[in-house]
Amino acid sequence: MQSLLHYRPWQGTFRSAWWSVWPIARVSLWMLFRRRLFWALYAAGLLLFLMFFFGAFLLAWAESQLAVSGQQFGRMLIGIRRALSILNGSQSTFQYFYAYQGAIVVVTLALVGSVLIGNDFTFKSLVFYLAKPIGRWQYLLGKCLAVTIIVQMMTTLPALILYGQHAFEDWNYFTNVDYFYDSDNGKGPASIPLLLAVLGYGTLLSVFFSILLVATASWMRRTMPLIMVWMSLFFFLRLLANILVDGLKYSARWRLLDLWNNLTMLGQACLGFYHDDISPKPQPEFWEAGLMLAGVCSVCLIYLNRRTRGVEIVS
Amino acid sequence: MPDLLESSDAGRRDRELETPVARSETSILGPDAKVEHSLCECTPPILLFQHVSKWYGPVIGVNQVTLELRPGITGLVGHNGSGKSTLLRLAAGLMRPDLGTVQIAGHDAWAWEAKRHIGYCPELDTFYEEMSGRRFVQTMARLCGYPRREALRRTEEILALVGMDQRADRVLGGYSKGMRQRIKLAQALLHDPELLLLDEPLSGIDPIGRRESIGLFRELAGRGKCLLISSHELDELEKLTDHVAIMAAGRIAAVGTLTQIRDLLDDHPLSIRIASDQNRALAGLLLELDEVVGVDRDKRFLIVRAKNPRRFFERLGELALDRMIEIQHLETLDESTHDVLGYLLGAKRS
Repeated sequence: MQSLLHYRPWQGTFRSAWWSVWPIARVSLWMLFRRRLFWALYAAGLLLFLMFFFGAFLLAWAESQLAVSGQQFGRMLIGIRRALSILNGSQSTFQYFYAYQGAIVVVTLALVGSVLIGNDFTFKSLVFYLAKPIGRWQYLLGKCLAVTIIVQMMTTLPALILYGQHAFEDWNYFTNVDYFYDSDNGKGPASIPLLLAVLGYGTLLSVFFSILLVATASWMRRTMPLIMVWMSLFFFLRLLANILVDGLKYSARWRLLDLWNNLTMLGQACLGFYHDDISPKPQPEFWEAGLMLAGVCSVCLIYLNRRTRGVEIVS
Repeated sequence: MPDLLESSDAGRRDRELETPVARSETSILGPDAKVEHSLCECTPPILLFQHVSKWYGPVIGVNQVTLELRPGITGLVGHNGSGKSTLLRLAAGLMRPDLGTVQIAGHDAWAWEAKRHIGYCPELDTFYEEMSGRRFVQTMARLCGYPRREALRRTEEILALVGMDQRADRVLGGYSKGMRQRIKLAQALLHDPELLLLDEPLSGIDPIGRRESIGLFRELAGRGKCLLISSHELDELEKLTDHVAIMAAGRIAAVGTLTQIRDLLDDHPLSIRIASDQNRALAGLLLELDEVVGVDRDKRFLIVRAKNPRRFFERLGELALDRMIEIQHLETLDESTHDVLGYLLGAKRS
């Protein structure tokens, strides 16, 4: 009989199971990049970035035009100057940028979570992965990597471009840590500390969102339930925290229920904000916000550990 | 040597089967694997189940299964819900047993190291529908631990092997069932595994593809691979191997060649509950049959213990026709044996 098999024996060494993380992430991203919805949301995020990128030029031009007109546009000039102070590349620029861009990231992840993760559980494609020589944690890490790449694409990457824009505009911005104090043009550090802060804020968002999305999408696999869960986490809990702290004047610790607030607090801590600079007031301590986020991540990881064992039953 | 296990708790029958139960804990090898047998004794089994049980809540999926597999093809047959797929998933390390251990080439099946030795072709038909067959197999090759170039090379070879190299660029959503089966088979064969677990691998494949697949399975077995192939259809498996394991109610009810199982079944008394319009007359007639070991009365039923059940059912039919006895109820009391019998009779008819 003619031989059907033509295996050439593999002489090399197999790569560690950790190398599988990238193919898993790549497949997820490939699936996502085929969705128009994702690109629509990405474009919305890009518009925001363009506002930050070109906003400074636009406002500077407007300021110069209005200044000529004298007192007639005085109020508008004040507004423009205030906006310009936000778009000057300082810690405030990145605080606002991450806050707005982060909101779009939350919406995007809630909408694409089922494509990235949920479908593996719904359609049981997970069986193909787990029958290969990889561990369950490698699979989860692959999914987290995919989410991280999306978050980085939407936040850190444009933030770095913004940083680069200001660095090219004025080289002192990149070399002088006290750039803003010296020029009396804003607050906070510049140079490498600011660059690290930008990267730190992005990393914080990536780690938290990836763990949270993988956990919630493996629990609520369909898009609508996932949106409802994320709305509860980021909208209703925020509302509840505001009512408790601002309305009923409960302790500032009740604001810890607001996950988004905890994230932005820690992000601002990265950017060099002092506790007293953070609004709305009162706020819990930085370490309390960090502990809360770490707790949420731990709960997610414990759930994922149980969920990947539970895969055996549903598949 | 075949083994016939049963789920009945009838003590007497259990005692009769004591020896075969013990034997079930030794290797099961088909006649086509005799050559490897001498080799097998000094090498660890590729697949080893030791007193494995698995529950789905209150439902038992696999019940106290002890099994050893070495090179060769073993067919796994059983009705829906008999535990075939659960057994394969346990072997593939997709499930953890609640009791007992499953080992693949000395590794715990749950550990990722064990999966280097396994190629698993699941029954499920859902993939990433927008992905091409080539990309899917390529991704699976990367997950096996091959570097990019080797993964590409293996993908092309395997696609050619399963006859999908010309059609692999189409998206999976557009594939027929047979094409999906081929792609699933391709991803299972990618890393040249020692143990192939194939869940209904021939279902939906056209006759030519089926013949090619059967040839491929035989060649793999000839190369010392161990294949465990599940199927609903015994006649389909008979074309592949004479060595089968029949599952019923989560247990391996019988293991061995079909001839051996049939012979053993013939020697093994089966309890049958019968109701007729002439119970007393029927009991007398049945006692005259050589196949009948004993008859008891239980209210309006006769409980008949008969050897060689195939022959017994033929004779019962003849008696009923000759003596104009109306059989109102006929039921085998031993579920496992009933299933084994059902399969054997089904195979015989075909």
